[in-house]
Amino acid sequence: MNIQDNYLKNKKNIFFSENKDIQTHREKLINIFENDKFDKKNNESLKNINLKNFIDFKYKYLIPEETSVINNNQDNSYSIVSVNGQCSSFKDDKIEITKILDEDYNDFSKNDTIEHNDHFVNLNSLFLNCGFKIVIKKNNNIKIKISNIITDDDLTIFQKNNYICEEGSSLNLIEEYENKNNSTSNVLNVIKLEKNSQLNHFLIQDNSPNHNLIITSHSSCKKDSTFNQKVYNFSEGYVRNFHYSELMETNSEADLQGIFFLKDNNISNNKTFVKHLAEDCKSNQVYKGILNDRSKATYFSNTHVDQAAQKTEGYQLSKGILLSDNASYFSKPELKIYADDVKCSHGSTIGPIDENAIFYLRSRGMSKIAATKILISSFINEELSSIDNEQMSEIIQKKLVRYLSKVK
Amino acid sequence: MFLEIKDLSVKIENKNILKSLNLNINKGEVHAIMGPNGSGKSTLANVLAGKEDYEILDGRINFKDNDLFDLNIEERAQEGLFLAFQYPVEIPGVNITPFLHSAINSKRKRMNEEEIDNLSFAKLLKSKASDLGINIDMLKRSVNTGFSGGEKKRYEILQMSILNPDLAILDETDSGLDIDALKIVTDGVNKLKTKDNSFLIITHYQKLLDYIKPDYVHVMVNGSIVKSGGSEIAAEIEKDGFQKFQ
Repeated sequence: MNIQDNYLKNKKNIFFSENKDIQTHREKLINIFENDKFDKKNNESLKNINLKNFIDFKYKYLIPEETSVINNNQDNSYSIVSVNGQCSSFKDDKIEITKILDEDYNDFSKNDTIEHNDHFVNLNSLFLNCGFKIVIKKNNNIKIKISNIITDDDLTIFQKNNYICEEGSSLNLIEEYENKNNSTSNVLNVIKLEKNSQLNHFLIQDNSPNHNLIITSHSSCKKDSTFNQKVYNFSEGYVRNFHYSELMETNSEADLQGIFFLKDNNISNNKTFVKHLAEDCKSNQVYKGILNDRSKATYFSNTHVDQAAQKTEGYQLSKGILLSDNASYFSKPELKIYADDVKCSHGSTIGPIDENAIFYLRSRGMSKIAATKILISSFINEELSSIDNEQMSEIIQKKLVRYLSKVK
Repeated sequence: MFLEIKDLSVKIENKNILKSLNLNINKGEVHAIMGPNGSGKSTLANVLAGKEDYEILDGRINFKDNDLFDLNIEERAQEGLFLAFQYPVEIPGVNITPFLHSAINSKRKRMNEEEIDNLSFAKLLKSKASDLGINIDMLKRSVNTGFSGGEKKRYEILQMSILNPDLAILDETDSGLDIDALKIVTDGVNKLKTKDNSFLIITHYQKLLDYIKPDYVHVMVNGSIVKSGGSEIAAEIEKDGFQKFQ
């Protein structure tokens, strides 16, 4: 079924479909899909993807019977189970969680700041069927863990979440995507960091082979705010991680990091994009990948430095280890600099595991497989040792051990 | 015979490096191989350790009654063969202490010996490091990462003293060492020498042999051993160079 028919058939289940302005906007989006030939050669972000799965899909969404659970634990921490992208409303003096409602179209319908040629974001706008808003109130320091559960097979989740960190607030956010069913999640996180706020965003992705996850985030940072994001992708199914950040006011920072562990025929597409719009801001984009068997990955990193963004520091790094001759990793760093007083760099290193290092370790009595595993662990040691959350560190270590157990 | 190399011919990328090389080493002996650049000394060391880049054209190597070609790299190490690298590899993120602990236990496992526990290993490592003038803080670092040339060589000897090999091959261990570091490193080697183990020392210069006294000196030119004898050969090379052997 094509996009238009799909939309028309299911529009009663999709948010804001009665709103005229949004109708007009969505018709434009449908036209884009109708007219675009999805030329992979001229749109690198579509590389390796079987688009048919995402364009010609069967729409299915179930409002969950079980409601989500929000626990307010001690030490300012909250645990949330989001079911099919839905979350109950909750409010106390530190945070406010609001389920998406039809009257919230102003908050949830606009994607002005996000690239128009991103088909997956456009699909999210078109078929939006769930999501929530979380506000961290002024000067509070909060921890939230969100477990995203999908209840049934063949669901198509189009979820949009808004996060607002008010002035002086700090949020440690752990998001887990661990689904074993045959569904597709298209999640868009829009994150607003007000003056002097901080968000540490951890994403753990560990879905089964038939689960597709498309996750996009757009963060905007006001004065003295910091956005740190760390993505750990252990999924056996397709994952797209596209994360955009705008440094809007002075002395704001964005650190976008990711590690992916691929095997079999799995594919992962990754992109980070930082726009420096003000003076004295810093950004860092680092993605590392380990690819085995016939797996494929792409990583596009972009730093855009506006003319006004003097004294910018912007760094990019991409590294990959190919454990098999049939694995491939395409990496493309880009810098666009319109200011003249900046420090920017980019680097990309992809190759097989260092044979000299393997020989050295084996010459001390370590088996080839043990030497390979120790070198893989050392490749991401810096990222793993910098996790200051003990529980997170344990989770990641366990998943790493599971991945390494399949390395032959 | 402890180590017997018979008619060994080896090539890499269509270039013959070792040509019918013969060498015998008995238990408790120290042998030195001297030779000009490109004569094949490091190739011999790498072939003995099992590096897989080389093609063995002919010959055989026996080590402690094993056909060395039947053993892979780690099995040779576990059997007691140790190569001190000319250029030790930097491995960021692999911590020295657990790496060496794992190395010693892989050897003990093969020898059907009980594995050494964390505490005993820490004590052993600390004492060996102290003998070699290695700062304890260095043991918290990654393998060879950010080490100076001298530190790398000292760390090779530390590994050797921990693994206590039957046959140690020192590939130009003296290169890049100042006189004080050379003394520390050679003292470490001399302390390890017993009647039950053997050393094969590869060097360009006689200087190293002033500190480690070899029982035999061999001159290697163009992939073969062209002369063997006592330490007088080293003095001869120091005086006249390798020209007369070529």
